[in-house]
Amino acid sequence: MNAAVDSFVEEATDILDGLEKILLELEADPTNTGTVDAVFRALHTLKGSGAMFGFASLARFTHPFENAYEQIREGTAKVTPEIIQLSLASRDHLQRIIAKGPDAENSDIQDPTSLKLVEKIDVLIADQTTRNKSTGAIRAHSTQSQRFLITFKPHESDMRNGMRPDLLLAELEGLGEAHVTCSAAGVPPLRELDPTVCHFCWTIELTTSAGRDAIDEVFIFASDSAVTVTPLAPDTIDMAISQPAPGMERNAIGSGRMLKSDENLTAAPPKSDSVRVQAHRLDELMDQLGELVITQARLNRISADLDDTSLAETTEEIERLVTGLRDATLSIRMLPIELVFGKFRRVARDLSAELGKHVQLLTRGGETEVDKNVIDSLTEPLVHIIRNSIDHGVEAPDARLSADKPERATIVMQARQSGGEVLISVSDDGAGLNAEAIRQRAVSRKLIDEDQEVTDEQLHQLIFEPGFSTAEAVSSVSGRGVGMDAVRRVIDDLRGTVEVKSQPGRGTEVTLRLPLTLAIIDGLLVRVGNNPFVMPLSTVEECVELPPDETARQSGRSILRIRNKLVPFLRLDTLFGFERVENDDRRVVITSVDGRRLGFVVDEVIGQHQTVIKPLSVYHRGIEGLAGSTILGDGSVALILDAAAIVKRAQAAVRTAA
Amino acid sequence: MTNNTGSLGAVDAAMALTFSLDGETFAVPVQHVREIIDPLPITDVPNADQVAPGLVNVRGAIAPFIDLRHRLGMRPAVLRETSRILVLELTLEGEMTTVAMLADDVDDITETTSADLETVPDLGVRWPTEFIKGVAKKDGALVILLDVQTAFAPKPSH
Repeated sequence: MNAAVDSFVEEATDILDGLEKILLELEADPTNTGTVDAVFRALHTLKGSGAMFGFASLARFTHPFENAYEQIREGTAKVTPEIIQLSLASRDHLQRIIAKGPDAENSDIQDPTSLKLVEKIDVLIADQTTRNKSTGAIRAHSTQSQRFLITFKPHESDMRNGMRPDLLLAELEGLGEAHVTCSAAGVPPLRELDPTVCHFCWTIELTTSAGRDAIDEVFIFASDSAVTVTPLAPDTIDMAISQPAPGMERNAIGSGRMLKSDENLTAAPPKSDSVRVQAHRLDELMDQLGELVITQARLNRISADLDDTSLAETTEEIERLVTGLRDATLSIRMLPIELVFGKFRRVARDLSAELGKHVQLLTRGGETEVDKNVIDSLTEPLVHIIRNSIDHGVEAPDARLSADKPERATIVMQARQSGGEVLISVSDDGAGLNAEAIRQRAVSRKLIDEDQEVTDEQLHQLIFEPGFSTAEAVSSVSGRGVGMDAVRRVIDDLRGTVEVKSQPGRGTEVTLRLPLTLAIIDGLLVRVGNNPFVMPLSTVEECVELPPDETARQSGRSILRIRNKLVPFLRLDTLFGFERVENDDRRVVITSVDGRRLGFVVDEVIGQHQTVIKPLSVYHRGIEGLAGSTILGDGSVALILDAAAIVKRAQAAVRTAA
Repeated sequence: MTNNTGSLGAVDAAMALTFSLDGETFAVPVQHVREIIDPLPITDVPNADQVAPGLVNVRGAIAPFIDLRHRLGMRPAVLRETSRILVLELTLEGEMTTVAMLADDVDDITETTSADLETVPDLGVRWPTEFIKGVAKKDGALVILLDVQTAFAPKPSH
């Protein structure tokens, strides 16, 4: 595929995404003419640019739908649920057509799905329009032939931009009887000839029943070209003498409206000053930046060793610049989470229709920005969560009514930023989790003992345990939890956490906490034994001294009292199996994970460190408690601790020990 | 060069780098060898498999340090003057991975032809035969050609 086709595919994909959103809006508010216009414009753009880049079957398929929305725009047809349904199905089909790539030359085969969809829409619209008498009248007008004289001279840049005059002419010929003459008068002498410019101009005499609009549409993507369209006196006697006025009127109205829609068309794509960049280029930039940050750390160290004032000044200056560059680069990678949210309106709509439940999906905080890589990985887990909510959380309509709830359930997706994290929650007003069923399941899966005392809250978190819910049975018993372990796996990979809250009869809320970015973090550099480690600063609350009597304590108790609150702590050297280094001056780094505070005993707190996260290789990826590795200023390698995972690991160890 | 040896290797001759571990001479195909560098400080990875006990910084990239001696059941290495780190590029579980390993000495590049190679008798060696492609005789000494895919596999197959 060449670059032009690539960019068309990209743009078309954007248009289709937008179209889905607009169609769902239209479903909610079928009389909104602005929305109808938007649908029309989207289809129109697809058809036009599709034809231009060799997607002929796409253009052919889009045409009847565009017509349908034109009818709706004119008020001769109405938006019905069937039309929306069909439009959504067609949108999906368009996506498939685009994925297949441009058509082979001269291929004229329409695939069966296209034909079926086109037939359906034709029938739907025809049904409506035959019922509408005035439509009949207008349709009668439009069958009258008119003659136009069209001159067409492509703009200098058109050929370079990939315009194909031959396709445009062929499209004109498709409208009716066309007589095309080509003028070579503008061709310069060979010496001055620029082979990338089209020097010809064409004159077309077209007899068509399609009307002026159709001609304007042919040239809609040749807006830079010089095009004139002049209506000629009809040279046929088709038009009855008694009817000239309506014919003229139609013409006048037609061109008037076309003018208006022209304005719309140019106004439609909001003028954005953004640049499209391929993701891998951003990744490269990020890699380079990572190297720069590491080298910067080395420079800092050298500067500190040499203790030279002018070097220190320059180093500080560079550090400031690198930090600015880092923030700017990271912000390029940030995208509004609305991009994923948008997809779920459709998921919710289709799924609730399929299951016979009434569900509305509300999204909030779509403007919250998240790293592109995080966004890309979020779709799947969120689909799981929404599916669970609709399938198992939301009750059937009659059950809801008898529980004094509105028949239509509400699912709210909400995103917000909190410190270095993004919180995404999905809450429903359904039946909530069935704690008793989860307990039974957990006992049969040996996740807990039969007589173990577990709070409901702890029980709820068990739905994320691997293997907890792979079986079908659980959804019929507990009514919840299909594939939730898959959700947690993805979120773990993103160095995030997931938790669930539920109230019987009131609903369930699943919250994902994700780091803002995956590439560079602010970390706290610590030493355990002789090994340096980095803890993500976003999880660190404070550092305190380990009281000497705690060092000596052998009773197994490991709880600190900090400002009258008890905080449990772990010894990292014990956890990691390191030999304990004699040290009377240990520190405890207090972290907060999921709202719970936990201390980590380290030998030394070295300081803040801008950390470029390098993922671990296949040898070390499975080790719990490690989030990655990084290179320090002196060139040595440090591991990045995953506080949340260590807490889990420690809890699991306590459980097995007990 | 890689292309050359790669295509030849399948049919006939392959270039291999020989190095010594605990007095034995081993060989790995040269197309897997990226560079040979002086020993580097190793950062321990807690709770890691003994086959990959640490990480090293190879020119700004972090590579897992592989203890081939452990996998072959040999005594732990003692750093000598001749010790070198071999940086290898391998495809592990479908991923291009750069790994580092310590050799007591790096000898030579040698050409092994498939005719030279003999399969290893099961009882003739003390290490698992699945790590070994074959044995060749070079200048009267035995050279053990490693099967890099199994010898460096993150999880041993047995």
